This record gives sequence, C-alpha cells and structure tokens, in this order.
Amino acid sequence: MRKCIKCGEKAQIYLPQHRLSLCKTHYIEWFENRVEKSIKEFQMFSKKEKILVAVSGGKDSLSLWQALVKLGYDADGFYIDLGIGDYSKKSFNISIAFSEKLDRTLHTVSLEDEVMSIPQIKNYDNRPTCSICGTLKRYYMNKVAKHLGYRVVATGHNLDDESAVLFSNTLNWSVDYLKRQYPVLPEENSFIRKVKPLCKISEKESAMYAVLCGIEYIEEECPFSEGATSIDYKTFLSRLEEKSPGIKLRFYSEFLRKMYPILHIGEEKPHLNRCSICGEPTTGEICSVCNLKNKLKLKAGG
Amino acid sequence: MQITVVYRGQKKVLEFEKAKVKSGDILKALDLSKDFAFVIKNGEIVSEDEIIRPRDEVRVINAISGGAF
Repeated sequence: MRKCIKCGEKAQIYLPQHRLSLCKTHYIEWFENRVEKSIKEFQMFSKKEKILVAVSGGKDSLSLWQALVKLGYDADGFYIDLGIGDYSKKSFNISIAFSEKLDRTLHTVSLEDEVMSIPQIKNYDNRPTCSICGTLKRYYMNKVAKHLGYRVVATGHNLDDESAVLFSNTLNWSVDYLKRQYPVLPEENSFIRKVKPLCKISEKESAMYAVLCGIEYIEEECPFSEGATSIDYKTFLSRLEEKSPGIKLRFYSEFLRKMYPILHIGEEKPHLNRCSICGEPTTGEICSVCNLKNKLKLKAGG
Repeated sequence: MQITVVYRGQKKVLEFEKAKVKSGDILKALDLSKDFAFVIKNGEIVSEDEIIRPRDEVRVINAISGGAF
C-alpha cells in the first residue's frame, strides 16, 4: 500500500511524473499549490486584479475556478452558450449551479443572440467547426471582459492541451503559432491579458481534483469535437508518457525555457488595426468575427 | 467474471476470463491509458493494481478531451 508522503495515511493518488503519493486532502492541497506556483512563475495576475474565468462546464474550467477562489483570487465566470442542443443546455445548467455553489457571478453570452448558434453557422461555413467556435469564443471573451471591467481572462487549458498544440505546431513548423505559445499573453492593442494557470497540470490531475472536490462537471464531449486531431496527438503523447513519465511536462516546460526566448530574438511586433465595424483588434480592416457575420448575413439572405 | 462500470454517463458490462480483475484490466478493456483515465471504486480513486469485484460500484473517468487548438 502506498502512503501519503505528507501524512503517512493511505494514498489515493499516485503521480508517476512527480513520484508522489498523496491522500485526498494533500492531493487537493498539492493541486492548488501548483496552480499558485504557475501564477507566480509566469506573473499571471495578483490578488488585487479582477479575473474572468472562461467556463465551459468541463472539468478544467470548473477546477480552475474553484482553485482560484479557494486561493483567494477575485475570480468570476464567463459562459458562452454555443447553442449546441442538449450539450449546451447541460453545460449551462452545470455552470450556473457551480457559480451558485462558489457564490461568484457567472456572466453569460448567447451566440444565438449575437451571431447564430454553432449548428446554424455550420450550415453556411465549411471551415472546421472547432476553428470557427474557437475564433468566436476568443472574440467574445476579449470583448465582454473589457466591457465588464476585468483585467485578465483565465482559461482552463492544461498541460495536455498545451503539449498537444506544441507537438502539432512543431510537426508543422508553425513558427508564428509557436511564438505565441506562452501561458501569459500580455494586454496590448486592445487585447486583454490572457492566462493559463493550469498549463503545468495534466488533464488527469485536473479531473482527479474535480472528482475529489465533488465538482459536478460535464463528462460528455462536444458532439462536434469527434475525430478532432488534437485527440490523436494527445493519445500519441500519452503513449510516450506511459513509457517515460514526465516527458510531456519536460517537452512543454523546456520549450518555454529554452526555445520560446530564441523565437523572439530581433522580432518586430505586427501592427494591428481596429476593426472598422466593431472596434476590436485585427490585422486587416474588418475582424474575423465581423467578416463571418457579414458572410452569414449574405448567405442567410438576412 | 462480469463487472458493470459507469463510463461517460452510461452503464457498460465488461466480461473477464480471469478470476482476479484489477482496475488496470478495466482500463485496458475500455482501451484507455492510465495516463489519462482512472477508476473510482465505491467512491474512491484507486490505483491500477486495485482488485475489483462484481459487487463494487465502479466509475471510469476518461480525462482526455478534444476540440480546437
């Protein structure tokens, strides 16, 4: 029987990549300390700043929200209703119930009211759904957070998300994406600061925290994410991780430490304009969301 | 031996030929890696070598999720 390294009681959790055995109480404490450590390491935000957590109803965003509140941060939630049938209804109800449990505000925006629901947009736009959805989420997170007076947007991206993206961007040598892969994107050009406090926490660690804290989260996957290539990369990296525990964390942390600074040597920042329709930042004249709205209007004949 | 598990909100009955079934065997039967999945037995997260019996209440959590990069 494994024993908790902190108290000697029976350990419920074993973390091979950290060679740690922990009981329930000390696992929860370990998780929250690790979140706090990343916040400090990357100077994400302070306890005086208002933070908006992007909440989907999944394990990562709810675990993040709970950990931030428990650590004493001023964190409210933001939910975007994507209008994906029962999946969205269920995740919305879970998010609302959780905000009540935490006794924190949950701001909401409905895509159906703002543009169209994701299934409707899919009828008019044949780009991959996850990519359209990602663009819309980032746009409304930025716009709404600024409008409501928050200084920072925190998302639940975890180590598995980050190492899978890093793997994909490296396979494709997508240098422009690699340059932006950092757990803090500073506030600039009308973009609010964006942070990923779970960047060094694996997907399993985040799910175990949710289970041990009794957080009810949506376990189903979004029906549109089926067959997403991100899952292939994650499965592949998991196989490596099983053989060499800690490889994902090393791949990601060492990229940040050794490669990220090299990518920024002698770099000039791109000039950004304000979208002529909504005023949000864009490299062109009209931002991608207003472009999409125009296209949908034309196609829907409205 | 038959073990009933709850996986992603649905009940599944798994058949095993051996008499001693471990938590890790359940993950293997569902084709899940211990790197992203785990077993909850009678309300407690357990390690891969925990023995599972037919009367145990078993929930399997798969933590992997997809979506946009």
